[in-house]
Amino acid sequence: MENSFLNRIKGKEFIFSTLLVAFVTVIGSFFRGIIDASNFAVLFLLAVVLSALWWGMASSVFTAFFGVLAFDFFLVPPYNSFSVSDLKYIYTFVGFIITGVIVSMVASRARRQAIETKQREARTAVLYRFSNEMAECETTPQVIGAVRKNVGELLGCSTAVFMPHKDGISDAGSDADFPLDTHEYAVAQWAFSNKKPAGSGTTTLSAAKAFYVPLETSLEAVGVLGIRTADGRVIFNTSEMELVTALANQSSVAIQRAVLTEKSREMELAKKTQALQAALLNSISHDLRTPLVSITGALSALSQDFEAVDAADRKELLQTAYDDSLHLNEIVGNILDMTRVESGNLKLNVRPCDLRDLIGASLTQLKDKLEGRMVAVDIPGDLLEVPVDFSLMMRVFINLIDNAAKYSPAGSEIYIGAKTEGNMAVMTVKDSGFGIPSGDLEHIFDKFFRAVKPRQVSGTGLGLSICRGIVEAHGGKIWARNNTESGAVFFIRLPLGDAGHGGRD
Amino acid sequence: MRDTAGGTDVENSGGLRILVVDDEKTIRRFLKAALNSKGISVIEASDGEQGVYIALNSHPDAVILDLGLPDMDGIDIVKKIRESSVVPIIILSVRNDESDKIAALDAGADDYLTKPFNAGELLARIRTIMRRLAPRQDGPVYKTGTLEVDITQHAVTVKGKTVKLSPVEFDIIKMLVMNYGKVLTHKRILKEIWGKNEEPEDALHLLRVTISNIRNKIEPDPNRPEHILTEPGVGYRLFEE
Repeated sequence: MENSFLNRIKGKEFIFSTLLVAFVTVIGSFFRGIIDASNFAVLFLLAVVLSALWWGMASSVFTAFFGVLAFDFFLVPPYNSFSVSDLKYIYTFVGFIITGVIVSMVASRARRQAIETKQREARTAVLYRFSNEMAECETTPQVIGAVRKNVGELLGCSTAVFMPHKDGISDAGSDADFPLDTHEYAVAQWAFSNKKPAGSGTTTLSAAKAFYVPLETSLEAVGVLGIRTADGRVIFNTSEMELVTALANQSSVAIQRAVLTEKSREMELAKKTQALQAALLNSISHDLRTPLVSITGALSALSQDFEAVDAADRKELLQTAYDDSLHLNEIVGNILDMTRVESGNLKLNVRPCDLRDLIGASLTQLKDKLEGRMVAVDIPGDLLEVPVDFSLMMRVFINLIDNAAKYSPAGSEIYIGAKTEGNMAVMTVKDSGFGIPSGDLEHIFDKFFRAVKPRQVSGTGLGLSICRGIVEAHGGKIWARNNTESGAVFFIRLPLGDAGHGGRD
Repeated sequence: MRDTAGGTDVENSGGLRILVVDDEKTIRRFLKAALNSKGISVIEASDGEQGVYIALNSHPDAVILDLGLPDMDGIDIVKKIRESSVVPIIILSVRNDESDKIAALDAGADDYLTKPFNAGELLARIRTIMRRLAPRQDGPVYKTGTLEVDITQHAVTVKGKTVKLSPVEFDIIKMLVMNYGKVLTHKRILKEIWGKNEEPEDALHLLRVTISNIRNKIEPDPNRPEHILTEPGVGYRLFEE
């Protein structure tokens, strides 16, 4: 409190100088007449040096002149008079003044340099920490958050950052107590458009409540930083202004970097999406065309000359066309599922479902394909209820069981199991087929990926990625492993939620 | 319900008149060919308004209705027909729209087929509906495969062995048997068996538990049910051989 009171008094250092001279004079007065008066000059020089170091040039020059007067008045005979009895004192005074001024200059320069060094160090430390923090930010909102946090802490002020938006600028993050009205917006907008600071403490639109500094890089203006000091102080001093400028520069670079990174990421994503779509179209049109070729072929042969084809061949042709139309339907179904999963608006109708019922219904749908297969189902006797979308989870099991049948020798066994592990249900679909090449285990859930075909296995390469999409939408996990003996095992882990183990009533 | 000879049903369905309501010409053509080959005559309607009119005025034996007509909501068509007719209605719908199927079934449709379907499947459904409507000859005893249900005696046997069912379990079996070949929605079962007008989770849980218990008693392999089939997200049906 006292300190801030003193801080406000201008020229306080002259008061200190006066007090110092008075102190030295009092000490000298004890030895008045005991030692030669010219020796006191050393004491006064000490006062000059101290003034220079502590309070700067002006105060030390003042000390030198005021000291000479006090020296003459109190310590040089005749005492309590400015008159001088011995002419040698005149030389002492002149020498003292010259020495005092030179010492003042040297000492105060040293002081100034020390102060500047300290300030520079402090600012460097601040900016270093600031830039470190900036470097850790990845997205624009993160950068803006860091800018606001640091500027706010360093200057003890509330802040706002404005970013270009449509034709003007918009608030990209601001403190609750930052004054945000149309007038302030207009000032911020002016600062942005003219690339000049504006608002409180400047010559432009100084009626504003806050100070606005444009954030610009060599390329473009990236935004505006609004600063409002806590105590409503309008003017920053020079060193604060320098700090603000330095912070604004760093902020601009950081924001631009984030914006550019985001832009390039978006572009990369767009490129990737485009490539994926092209691949999808490619794969789909190939997959669709294959069965279509056989359907059109078979039907055209029959319609051209029905009578000429003998009965057995007719049946054969029709069966081929029919089988392939079913396959075509499967592909279309997969594509539809994929679209639903991919579009991100997969609507889950989650309800507790009897897991045994779910697997049973899947097996019923695959009845024809599983003809002649041993399917072992191992589900604990207790009703195991899992909160899932019944139809979607059926797609998962149908895909997995169908895969198991496709990738294992006809007649070999397929095992389906389910159990609870803590608050999770874990389901397995195991075949005794060819397994999955170990390098492919990570990729089989990727879109369009198909493990090396052991024989003619048809599919879109979408099935497993659909499975993953559906399982993950349920907050679950799906993965695969190779069996120690032979074949592959697929695992699905789903949270039981609070549906829990239903138990029998 | 017992087939005496393989060919009887096809002959029985001869002389039937079935209304096909679909805006797709190719589908009407395919249905007409498939049904005509079994001696069933077909009346065609290409939109909902026409469909409702013919259904109510020409008294067909059954209606095959596409849910996705451009002029009218399929569920409204079912409701309109049901206002003054009990003609069996089979719905044609696409995959992934359980809520539409449920709404149509609850509005009074008898059964549904998911497109694409094959002719054999469709004929089997028609046959089942026709048999349910025909006067019964084998009294109160229903038989399908290894399962036998005697409604009046409250007796259920599997492979000749008597199975003990709780009263609620028997009520559900009875309901399924009386509506064989028909899909029973969760809502309908809850209402008829437990008198619930809504579908609270605890009631649905009770239904799942009861179905699971019945399956344990009557299915040869409860893991792969043959009698009580689950219609994913919709309800249950009694499978009939």
